[in-house]
Amino acid sequence: MDYSGEVQRRFAAPGRIARATEHTGCETTGEAGDRSLGVWVCFHVRARAGQIEAVRFQVFGCPHTIAAVSLLAERLEGEGVAALGRDWARELAADLSVPAEKLGRLLVLEDALRACARHGEQG
Amino acid sequence: MNTANEIYLDYAATTPVDARVVEAMAGYLGRDGAFANAASIHAPGRRAAAAIARARAQVAAAVGADPGHILFTSGATESDNLAIRGAMQYYRDRGSHLITARTEHKAVLDTCADLHRQGCSVTYLDCDEHGLVHSEALRAALRPDTVLVSLMHVNNETGVVQDIGALGEVCRERGVLFHVDAAQSVGKLPLDLAELPVDLASLTAHKAYGPKGIGALYMAAGVGVSRLQAGGDQERGLRPGTSPTHQIVGMGAAFELAATAPKRNEIEGLRRRLWEGLKTLPGVRVNGHPTQRVAHILNVSFPGVEGESLRFALQPLAVSAGSACTSDNPEGSHVLRALGLGEHLAQSSLRFSLGRFSTAGEVEAAAALVHEAVLRLRALAPEAPPWTRQGQQSI
Repeated sequence: MDYSGEVQRRFAAPGRIARATEHTGCETTGEAGDRSLGVWVCFHVRARAGQIEAVRFQVFGCPHTIAAVSLLAERLEGEGVAALGRDWARELAADLSVPAEKLGRLLVLEDALRACARHGEQG
Repeated sequence: MNTANEIYLDYAATTPVDARVVEAMAGYLGRDGAFANAASIHAPGRRAAAAIARARAQVAAAVGADPGHILFTSGATESDNLAIRGAMQYYRDRGSHLITARTEHKAVLDTCADLHRQGCSVTYLDCDEHGLVHSEALRAALRPDTVLVSLMHVNNETGVVQDIGALGEVCRERGVLFHVDAAQSVGKLPLDLAELPVDLASLTAHKAYGPKGIGALYMAAGVGVSRLQAGGDQERGLRPGTSPTHQIVGMGAAFELAATAPKRNEIEGLRRRLWEGLKTLPGVRVNGHPTQRVAHILNVSFPGVEGESLRFALQPLAVSAGSACTSDNPEGSHVLRALGLGEHLAQSSLRFSLGRFSTAGEVEAAAALVHEAVLRLRALAPEAPPWTRQGQQSI
């Protein structure tokens, strides 16, 4: 399996990993996937006045998945909360040279974000 | 060439060629060496033929066989094919049923699958949770039309050693041929084919510090196989083609060295040291039988980490997810699944295999690398973070 330089860099130092000590109680959380299937993602999103202020994550998956979660978390910060419902998979796949057989894993990231959005709406 | 920060612990996949073997082979390649075609009757050809005869004797001596019972092939995969396909064809009047085990190497499993597609009936024996195939299970699977049983001696992924003496006796009782894939055996544990109830055995040079591309098939007296290809009388007409003198000489030299290799206890000590370094990680487990195993293989599962990420995080460490021959397969090892491991645990397992050139420093560095990688990956996805499902707020 070949990994792009960006995947290698983000795998080595993903950044924005959720730490228990950072928890403020103001986050909304959404998860998707299943460890037994090889991919599980959980996002923790803090937003104020419709703007995403901070994103943290937990991830169980392959190097492409870890890199994609890291990149997505970075891109979400500063976006409006509507970005949680956007289709990100193709953009991430292109930017990280994710092979076609792994595109399904990127859809799990989208599912986790949508779960965040749902939890946010439900309050 | 290994770079300075690489640690090679994949000796079950292949070994480097011993310098003494390289030296022996070099004498059969160049113009000044015995490069001639060993089938030629002129003097240079006879010199090459004599070298092949010496190598055949060296290989035979290493496995307790008569030199006349050793056929050179391109490796264990070809030997497996020649033994299984060749025997099923040669003895087709006896029946069309063969027996193997779910934990065999792909060289055997894929050959059996091919034969199944061609009309043979194949029984796949289960093993116990330690990877052992039991004589009772074999006895129960034998049928009146069973021609051949093919079981490996040392499992290439777990290092589990099958009791080929007992299994072979079951075959002898019923007059069924017994083929043993012994690719991982030479130099690792004693193998005396003349004393064992074995009819056919596959051997290879490159797992024993010899060159790749050369192996052998042991055929006991009176056993026949049909040839798989035509083109000459070499190797009794069963493996036609110009004999690769330098590779055969290399295999002979490697097997002679393997028979006298003094490092078995040392390698056992290194394996223990590696396990001591790994077992402090919570949840890790060794796969395979605790005692009925070879010294040089340690197969360990690391729960809570994804397999591809674990292997990628261990770039300086040359280890395998399972068999090197199936490393591209995204599915977990078929051997570990046969031992009862789930897909996820099978994927998060690594095979460490030590060799003649392994050192205590390498083993300690490897254990430290694995520790760091496993803890880092587990930290990305703690099993039960205490705060993730609390305090959800509107955004």
